Amino acid sequence: MPTPYEYAPASAGPAAARSDLPPVERAEPHAVPERLPLVRDRSGGWTPGVCGAIARHLGVSRRLVRWVFVLLALAGGVGIPAYIFLWALTPEEDLDGTGVPDGPVEARVSPERRRWALVLIGGAGLVLLGGVLLTPVIGGSLRDSVLLPLLVIALGAIVAWSNLDEAKRSRWLGGGGRGAGWMRLALGLALALTGILVLVTRGQSLTAVWDALFAAVAVLVGVLIVAAPWAVRLWGDFRREQVAAARATERADIAAHLHDSVLQTLALIQRKSADPASVTRLARAQERELRSWLYAGPQGSQESLAAAVTEVAHEIEDLHGVPVDLVVTGDRPFEQHGAALSRAMREALLNAVRHGRPPVTAYVEIGPNGVEAFVRDRGDGFDLDTVPEDRLGVRQSVLGRMERHGGSARVRHRDDGTEVELCLPALEGVPE
Amino acid sequence: MTQPGRVPDRGSARPPIRVVLVDDHRMFRTGVRAELTEAMSGAAAVCEFVGEAPDVDTAVTVIRRDRPDVVLLDVHLPGGSGNGGVDVIRGCAGVESTTGGPVRFLALSVSDAAEDVIAVIRAGARGYVTKTIGANDLVTAIRRVADGDAVFSPRLAGFVLDAFGAAAGEIAEVDEELDRLSAREREVMRLIARGYQYKEVAKELYISVKTVETHVSSVLRKLQLSNRHELTAWAMGRRLL
Repeated sequence: MPTPYEYAPASAGPAAARSDLPPVERAEPHAVPERLPLVRDRSGGWTPGVCGAIARHLGVSRRLVRWVFVLLALAGGVGIPAYIFLWALTPEEDLDGTGVPDGPVEARVSPERRRWALVLIGGAGLVLLGGVLLTPVIGGSLRDSVLLPLLVIALGAIVAWSNLDEAKRSRWLGGGGRGAGWMRLALGLALALTGILVLVTRGQSLTAVWDALFAAVAVLVGVLIVAAPWAVRLWGDFRREQVAAARATERADIAAHLHDSVLQTLALIQRKSADPASVTRLARAQERELRSWLYAGPQGSQESLAAAVTEVAHEIEDLHGVPVDLVVTGDRPFEQHGAALSRAMREALLNAVRHGRPPVTAYVEIGPNGVEAFVRDRGDGFDLDTVPEDRLGVRQSVLGRMERHGGSARVRHRDDGTEVELCLPALEGVPE
Repeated sequence: MTQPGRVPDRGSARPPIRVVLVDDHRMFRTGVRAELTEAMSGAAAVCEFVGEAPDVDTAVTVIRRDRPDVVLLDVHLPGGSGNGGVDVIRGCAGVESTTGGPVRFLALSVSDAAEDVIAVIRAGARGYVTKTIGANDLVTAIRRVADGDAVFSPRLAGFVLDAFGAAAGEIAEVDEELDRLSAREREVMRLIARGYQYKEVAKELYISVKTVETHVSSVLRKLQLSNRHELTAWAMGRRLL
């Protein structure tokens, strides 16, 4: 009879885990197209993923979309507002990194960031330079120019806002924001502030600018001082709410589990109250289930020998409604010899619950020098010569099985019960 | 720790062991009381219940007032500083029973999680049994604890073998070594883990029951005093040290 603890050589676990890996790995680079965007290309295209998104959406090349935008932008400037609207309104989704070259994630992301910062600074410089060079040509003076500060403000805002894209935001609020996020925010703020200052102090002397700057900083500090307690309290409330929500979820989980298991069993017990045997069995099974849920005992019989023998003992308990007190020390990987031991132990336990008297105790010691298992019952003992044929057969199968796997088995008859002793040598040096 | 001049069986001449039962479930207290009374009917009363308590603070008050010989102590209890049975043992440090010996604690729990076991034993309990124990075994355990011996369930023995590395073959060179078991102690623990009673262990190893009790008490002492990494790690995790 195939039982759940039969040895299965196929390593399904690691393989399944491996197949889970790629999406996880790709989740990170997928953020790259949304960061690449701030690259200010010579073609004049800012691409915060918009072109990429449209290209993916329409199934055309990204370059083509970019060129279309550039053309639109040149043709009366239609492309710019269109682009901005798309940028603002296009939701971010979790896509695989389409078009992102495969490669080690760590190696790619950080140079990407560095390049991004360089391009940003270079771009800002170019904008400023262009503005400075352009204003006299247009005919205005640098001081009276509105365009330049506006550009700077816009740049600062974009830099600061780019921090708040969807994926970032959660990390940011979760307190896991890295230095880069804060740096970007500070840079954006500084740019925007500079722009505003330049805008409002237009046409005034440098001292006036300094005064204005001082006044602005003073006001900001004042606002911060006034707002800080509120912000702190808001933040605290937010955290508390998060914790409360987590607790509520946990409680709901526990309630759901108790409902599915304990309450159902209690209902069953009430209905079967006339049958003590099944009540005991139900109670015992439920106790075990709850215990393993609460204390997270060994799970997954294919993983370790300790888990396998525990499962065997539980199975026997369920089959016969006789409690088996199992103690296991140590552990080792589950392989074919261990599988043989757990099957032999199953036979011994079956014998004990069928022919012996409770309490049935089992002790499995898994050490570096081998495995020893003891199954003991409190039966009256029996005479070897009068052993029924089937029981001798069982004994033979226990004995024979252990010997085939390089181990040994011994049945000891005591005046107060029977003890079956199973031995298995250490893993190394076992003939395969 | 074992009383030197103790006679293994004092018979009916001995005054009943005064027991306090601490458990937060009234049903369980009633059940244990009834079971023990039934188990002791016929023979001379081995023990008498002098009080019970449902939480840490009541327990400390009751134990300080009644000064029992043995306290049957649930591991998980409300009140105190949140450590359940450990708080009771701490709160009753230095209290003497009416017969002059220290008040002794026998932990009684539904949980056999290692950290629960280690916590109460290290706090000073003389034994640990699960609540599924039979009435007669419980009477034996109470008597044993009252005599200053230790009570080990098979699971506690298995845990000791694991924690001291005895299952992995680590054996103390000298008996006094606190971090390992001696070869004999290991044998005794192994037999207890296999479900042997003390007298069966004695028969198996050709030693007296008293010697078995000495070995078990010595293991208990090591369990309480050892700084072995596995033991302290659990205790530290629960901020018990």
